[in-house]
Amino acid sequence: MYEKDGKQYYIFDGHLHFWDASPENWKPGAEEYAKGWIECFHAYHGLGPADTQWSLEKFQKYSADDFERDVFVNAGTDCGVLQSTYLREWYTDGFNDFARNVTLLERFPGKLIVNGRFDPREGQASMEQLEADHEKYGLKGVKLYTAEWYQGSRGWKMTDDAAKPFFDKLVELGIRNVHIHKGPTIWPLDKDAFDITDVDHVATDYNGELNFIVEHVGLPRIEDFCFMATQEPNVYAGLAVVLGGLMHARPNFFNKVMGELLFWVGEDKILYGSDYGIWEPKWQIDGLLEWEMPDRPEYSDYPRLDEDGKRKILGLNGAKLYGVEVPEALRGPVPAEAPASPESAVGVAG
Amino acid sequence: MSLRAGVLRALGTVFDPELDEPITDLGFVGRCAVGEEGDVEVLLRLPTPQCAPNFAFLMAADARDAVGRVPGVRDVRVELIDHYTGREINTAVARGEGFSEAFPGETRGQLDALRELFQRKALVARQGRLLASVPEPERACLGELSGPDAVRCRALRLELGIDASDDAPAFVRGDGTPVGSDELVRFRRTASLTALSLETNGGMCRDLLAVRYQDHDTEEVAV
Repeated sequence: MYEKDGKQYYIFDGHLHFWDASPENWKPGAEEYAKGWIECFHAYHGLGPADTQWSLEKFQKYSADDFERDVFVNAGTDCGVLQSTYLREWYTDGFNDFARNVTLLERFPGKLIVNGRFDPREGQASMEQLEADHEKYGLKGVKLYTAEWYQGSRGWKMTDDAAKPFFDKLVELGIRNVHIHKGPTIWPLDKDAFDITDVDHVATDYNGELNFIVEHVGLPRIEDFCFMATQEPNVYAGLAVVLGGLMHARPNFFNKVMGELLFWVGEDKILYGSDYGIWEPKWQIDGLLEWEMPDRPEYSDYPRLDEDGKRKILGLNGAKLYGVEVPEALRGPVPAEAPASPESAVGVAG
Repeated sequence: MSLRAGVLRALGTVFDPELDEPITDLGFVGRCAVGEEGDVEVLLRLPTPQCAPNFAFLMAADARDAVGRVPGVRDVRVELIDHYTGREINTAVARGEGFSEAFPGETRGQLDALRELFQRKALVARQGRLLASVPEPERACLGELSGPDAVRCRALRLELGIDASDDAPAFVRGDGTPVGSDELVRFRRTASLTALSLETNGGMCRDLLAVRYQDHDTEEVAV
């Protein structure tokens, strides 16, 4: 729970990492890529406020104590989702794999959800791992990184034939949330590396069965993302990078990007994600709560975001997708169209 | 005009195909050395080591071609630095080869379709900024538009094979068909979102480049 100006907010962080990119984990022969990757992340880190910036050394590998302080103590996160990113071709033990994320589950029981992953190019082994992880941890979601390098391949698409059995398996197991990150290395290299049309196809095929959370709102293809999300009821916008990368560094762009998202996607389908450790969560939460669309002519076309909308984005939307219960007192007012129930009456009175 | 000025001017005609801005404005030209004999060396640098290889290739190849056309230039060497596919790109560009030769087996062809897709996006985005400059956009002709966006629109239309004469309709969709009066509201929204996407990406690229190469040009730009 995050408290600001005497008001309390439920915080559901849909995008957290716990990586090890220290030189000891750089894969022999691939040091150049491992180093380049984390330095690129560190450059993004540099877009946040100066007093929240870390040295490259700390950024390469932060501790569980850092995680606890930044995510839980300072930002009041009630529940967060750890997203796995493997990159095993560059990092010996993986950049931020499932096994590493799970170590935090034990330390912070009830406060974290770890998402699984699959890669259709790994075939049956990946399928078995997904099933085993689900059996042990009861997965509620997966993170897909379609730009991952694998044995000479520089990426895959969700519409590949090999991917379908995996999506069917998610439906069978009741794993409903699919987070997608697009990176700049999709095969074939002569096509748009950030093309999101595969999300469009799969979202249509699995409407009513799977939710697709497009991380970083499709940046740098926000226009394609918005045109798609407005038509697909099961496509959601993950705010990671929009807050961290724009709110401080480019406030005018932030206003406009938020305005477009509110117009095309709507406040019910936007999810907060800090992308920690790229950026600390506290300043992002604080900034969104303070943010208002400026009253200027160039913003007159955009919807406004009120306190209830901010509650949804910062917590209620994510909690709903993951079936996490939010304490009555933090749910905000009951929407006008929803019938009042005895439970909500208790919440209002309390 | 000195040879160096001519070379720089030529580099200013090379656009980032994704952002629709000159590589010189974006800070992607890290160094440009012009020898007395007309040998030119251009270092290109990008915001991240993982920037998309297809666009990186186009910029490097376009830079080589543009500089090579400047009278007085004897030899051009373009080097993309600090990029994970720099070696492949530099080798292919130096040999005057196409993209598919740089990455055998990883492409389905050349980059023409990709470039065209982004030219269409750029055209829509540029027009979005011009809509307010005429009283009745659905009746306006191309010749009535002026300023840098109008100049760029005309160039993009020529490259895309869309009528770019003065009396052609001022506002066209990405496929070249004129925007009708009943489509204006949607066209304006689509164009402004597309423009925002390009501008936001450009802003992010400038910021990352500044952090990467420790420049000090991180002031917020007017949008």
